[in-house]
Amino acid sequence: MNTLVVPLLLPLLAAIFGLLLRRHVPLRKPLFLFSSVGQLAAALWIGGQTLQVGHLGLPLGGWAAPYGIILMADTLTAIMLCLSAATTLAATAYSSAEWWSEAEHPFRGPLLQFLTLGINLSFLTGDFFNLFVAFEVMLLSSYALLTLENHGGQARHNLSYVLLNIVGSALFLCAAGFAYGTWGTLNFAQLAERLAAESGSNRVFFFGLFCTGVFGLKAGIFPLYFWLPGSYPTLPIAVSGLFSGMLTKVGVYVLLRLYATILPHDLTELHHLMGWVSVATMIFGVLGAICQNTIRSVLSWHIISQIGYMTLCLGLFSEMAVTACILYITHHIIVKSSLFFIGGAAAQLNQTDDLRHMGGLWKSAPILGLFFLAQALSLAGIPPLSGFWGKYLIVVEGLAQDKIAFVVGSLVASVLTLFSMLKIWLGAFWGEQPEDRSSPFENRSQSFSFWGKAAVCGALVTVSLVIGLGMPFFLEIAQKAALDSMDQRRFIEFVFSLKGK
Amino acid sequence: MLIDVILLTGALFAAGLFLAFERDLVSVLFGVALLSNAANLFVLLSSGNPEGRATPVVGQSLDLMVDPLPQALVLTAIVIGSGILTYLIFFVYRLYSDHGTTDLKEIFPPSPEDSSSAKGEKQS
Repeated sequence: MNTLVVPLLLPLLAAIFGLLLRRHVPLRKPLFLFSSVGQLAAALWIGGQTLQVGHLGLPLGGWAAPYGIILMADTLTAIMLCLSAATTLAATAYSSAEWWSEAEHPFRGPLLQFLTLGINLSFLTGDFFNLFVAFEVMLLSSYALLTLENHGGQARHNLSYVLLNIVGSALFLCAAGFAYGTWGTLNFAQLAERLAAESGSNRVFFFGLFCTGVFGLKAGIFPLYFWLPGSYPTLPIAVSGLFSGMLTKVGVYVLLRLYATILPHDLTELHHLMGWVSVATMIFGVLGAICQNTIRSVLSWHIISQIGYMTLCLGLFSEMAVTACILYITHHIIVKSSLFFIGGAAAQLNQTDDLRHMGGLWKSAPILGLFFLAQALSLAGIPPLSGFWGKYLIVVEGLAQDKIAFVVGSLVASVLTLFSMLKIWLGAFWGEQPEDRSSPFENRSQSFSFWGKAAVCGALVTVSLVIGLGMPFFLEIAQKAALDSMDQRRFIEFVFSLKGK
Repeated sequence: MLIDVILLTGALFAAGLFLAFERDLVSVLFGVALLSNAANLFVLLSSGNPEGRATPVVGQSLDLMVDPLPQALVLTAIVIGSGILTYLIFFVYRLYSDHGTTDLKEIFPPSPEDSSSAKGEKQS
């Protein structure tokens, strides 16, 4: 199944050619857009295939598993690939719209493509060490993007992100060494087989706990989240949309893959621990959001709170809970990046990001207000928007398992989310327009830039509405993805049936 | 043979952590470098005790061979680690040229308006 390399080759080639074409701006933009559209097409095609046959796999270099590295995809992988391609496309288009109003750094485009390469590889890989390499590709590009366009002493806010992630990578390496030293393999399928054989032993529990810590750090769960809210608000909006949508979700994806596909399913203590950590994550995240004063930092704290919902599904851990988790990730990535983009367009109109100095956007740009309202209500979980369904399934599953504390925690966090969204709404859209503000657009290119950004936001809002309204269809796909990713026996059989040369 | 490598790994982790908690950014830099090398040594440890085993070259000996895979992994990890370290050195230099110091307490002054307003300012 050679299609599996397309989502890796396209961003790699686009990034390299983008670096070569540094001075040819008119050529670069279509190149990156083409690469993202190609990735989206490939991801959709992979999705269609996995819905039909279940698993796809490619032994790299013709070395059969478990000796070689394999790329593999099931429905869950395909969903994540689609989301990453869509977000990259949106970020690239938004970046192109910004081009009319302000210049971007020439390395931003290529670095975004390298970042996507890392993200896609971590979805596709079927090998623990290869996952480490994918993470490093992703993190190194993210470090560079974080410090590339910061001026005036902003760069220091990224120090904790960089240092913590380097330490996290060292721990990740230790986890890989531990797995290889103990079970003699790094291949997901063989690891799953050998872990299942000694299911219930302390070593398996320790490995699960250690990996939860490592990937929890990347995902931003309690108490490992404090690197996130400091660094994300310093990014340019186009990049922060991609970061907020995808980066922490890669951590959540790996946790999901780990719990569903690799670790044995009977680690109830670990699941229970995860549930409590998640409740703490969502409450602390949303409380942090309430006391912020800029759009981007409110939204950044929200990411943490939403991560709590996703990991809570892993804490409940049943087929229904994993389905809810996949639905929630799908909803969250689209809504979160579009909220960042809407916030960026609002900040362009107001010439500031600070909620205390904004106001009156509802009059000057009602369309932006509508977009924001749709996405914010979706984030808070108002039916029939996309955010409602994930939360609904979580609550139903929590009640079915008699875990009242988790249900109450998630409902409280949901109400507080609505409250903090109202804060943005009142600050930016409602209220009086500040008097010292001149006309929103100084010239034509500013206005072009604004409408370009609004078009990107509109496209994402449409996708999110379609997901919310077409829920039966998406629910079916998510259920299939959950079933496939939890079916360890079939996964192991599939990987070992792959023929090398 | 294994026990001294284990002790060395532990010592490297301890020294790395100690340095990483210092106030001076250059010490933090060295601490992080030590930590990532400690992790590399830990991975190398997973190939087991090499005593009495042959070098992993096919056809030279019929004895049990040393597991060569961790060495390949560590090579990759060292290359990645050196890339990250290069980035970190430049980042520390950048912070030094922004703030004129490598003392973390001076880079992050504990003033109340620092946390709320500085982040929100629009970058030029």
